Amino acid sequence: MMDMSNTEPLHSSATIVKVDQDTSRSARVIIRLARPSTERLITAATLLIILGLWYLATHYQWVPGLFVPSPLSVWRALVEMQQTGYQGHTLFEHLASSMYRIVTGLGMALVTAVPLGLLMGVNSKIRAIFDPLIEFYRPLPPLAYYTLLVLWLGIDNTSKIMLLFLAAFPPLCVSAAQAVKGVDPVLIRAARTLGANAIQVFLYIVLPGSLPELFTGLRIAVGVTFSVLVAAEMVAASSGIGWIVLDAGKFLRSDVIFVGIIVMGLTGLLLDKLVRKLEQLATPWRSCG
Amino acid sequence: MKQCKLWFGGAFGLGLIILANLALAEDKPALITIGYLNLVNAQLISKHMGWHEKALGVPIKWVKFDSGGAVNTAIAGGSIDFGGVGNPPSAVGVSKGLPYEGIFVLNMLGAVESLVARTDKNIKSVKDLVGKKVAVPFGSTTHYLLMAELKKEAVDPRSVTIIDMGPVDALAAWLRNDIDAAYIWEPSLDKIVKSGGTIILTSAQMAKAGYPTWDVAVVRKDFAKKYPTLVNKFVKTEAKAVEFWLKDPQQSAEIIAEELALPKEDITRMITGTTMVAAKQQLGPTYLGTSNKKGGFVDTLYSTAQFLAEQKRIPAVPDKALYDAFINPAYLEAAVMQKQ
Repeated sequence: MMDMSNTEPLHSSATIVKVDQDTSRSARVIIRLARPSTERLITAATLLIILGLWYLATHYQWVPGLFVPSPLSVWRALVEMQQTGYQGHTLFEHLASSMYRIVTGLGMALVTAVPLGLLMGVNSKIRAIFDPLIEFYRPLPPLAYYTLLVLWLGIDNTSKIMLLFLAAFPPLCVSAAQAVKGVDPVLIRAARTLGANAIQVFLYIVLPGSLPELFTGLRIAVGVTFSVLVAAEMVAASSGIGWIVLDAGKFLRSDVIFVGIIVMGLTGLLLDKLVRKLEQLATPWRSCG
Repeated sequence: MKQCKLWFGGAFGLGLIILANLALAEDKPALITIGYLNLVNAQLISKHMGWHEKALGVPIKWVKFDSGGAVNTAIAGGSIDFGGVGNPPSAVGVSKGLPYEGIFVLNMLGAVESLVARTDKNIKSVKDLVGKKVAVPFGSTTHYLLMAELKKEAVDPRSVTIIDMGPVDALAAWLRNDIDAAYIWEPSLDKIVKSGGTIILTSAQMAKAGYPTWDVAVVRKDFAKKYPTLVNKFVKTEAKAVEFWLKDPQQSAEIIAEELALPKEDITRMITGTTMVAAKQQLGPTYLGTSNKKGGFVDTLYSTAQFLAEQKRIPAVPDKALYDAFINPAYLEAAVMQKQ
């Protein structure tokens, strides 16, 4: 069991787990109702204040409507985009085509970068081959090589997914390699002493030991992929949430841009939540995140 | 102590710079930013010859724009003083209340913008585009014309895959065999034609069919209000460039070839695909018209706006008076008067 003293006070679910273990069920319910609510209230209040300021700023026209559209017009744009669609597709369809690109790119990165990263962590010679390559392209801005990708792979989804794949690759790979190095050598030695072979050590010690760090890498990768989505949908797209934002910009539809950004933000948040849930399920011993 | 002096010196210097700027700001801005479109027109001559710098007596920053949509954004953000926009972007801009006005006809678009399709795919008209991939820069004049032509020929736009691409990207996609057609402009247009393309529709034909497209020079309203004489000089200089173009196409081609770093023959061909309108003519009923009686440009803008509203590109068609107000021939009138 891990040390509980580093429990994040803000992490409500973690608190519940802790309480669940050493207090009665009724106490847990009370805590669930009472404790997070303070933070939730603060969060809710912040959101309300922002929304209120937004409303006031547009209602009294502190800023022109072209720059900041009113909450109502953004809501109307959202409803219209879902009901009659934006340039041929509904908002949901746009979101779906973006999600398809993200999930495919991310999935491809997951099944290639993680094994490679783990290998790099285990074997220093493999690391010597790939490390310089990854370190070279990792800091490159995706836009710098996107034109090349379009030239090589064409204007269809392939180049877009490739861009997202390339963006997700380094954080996953680097964190996997790092994770392996972070596994306590005492555990490995103990397993060896007990007669485990290399494969067993890898499967039962190294792999579970690296899971927490792998998930951190995955969360970073999700964030990075999301942030290059708009760039990926810049060339020759006619669907996708990132494309909506770019297209609306050409027609000065700031209400649509706002919808796009809000939807993107919320989806990003949801994706992150999802990964965190997966993390809790996969690494229950590290429940405090 | 030393640092103290440095600080003092720095502050003093900064103060001087601010003072100098303030003194300048009274009659002239420290810098004028002109956004120009990446196409072939007489503005390239005035730019290349440095005529604006001379006439306005102010350093000028030239910023190249690939589309009128980007010019709109720059105007909205207040980052350019003068710009150039086609009728679709200006219809959008006016509907959104952008603080600018059209003061000069930069060019009438002709064969310089054309719909080009793969020769081997046997595409003869937009009717043959069904099921094909067409690249067009969204929000531009050609996007507007493509949609208009599809409507005119009763082709459902959804049966054609229309993708948003700038001319340069379209060229790359064409070379890779990714697209079957593109409605774009020079110089990318010619490269596509040369690599297996046939022109099936030109903007000149569309103009004859009742869909004229053009680019106007625009100025930010607050700039025009603050420095009306500079706007006057700007228009005068543009008129001079148009005159030069009309009088001496040969030398114009040479100048533009140098400016764009392209072969002269190419430029000569592009020049014939664009029409320049002499200053005096611009005040006629087909173009800007006069301050008392605005010309046909207002109608074109209005019908463009109606079309864009149909396409759900703008939420609603604004009052026609707004388009009337957008076209402002006053500066050109003054320039023509002064010349006579």
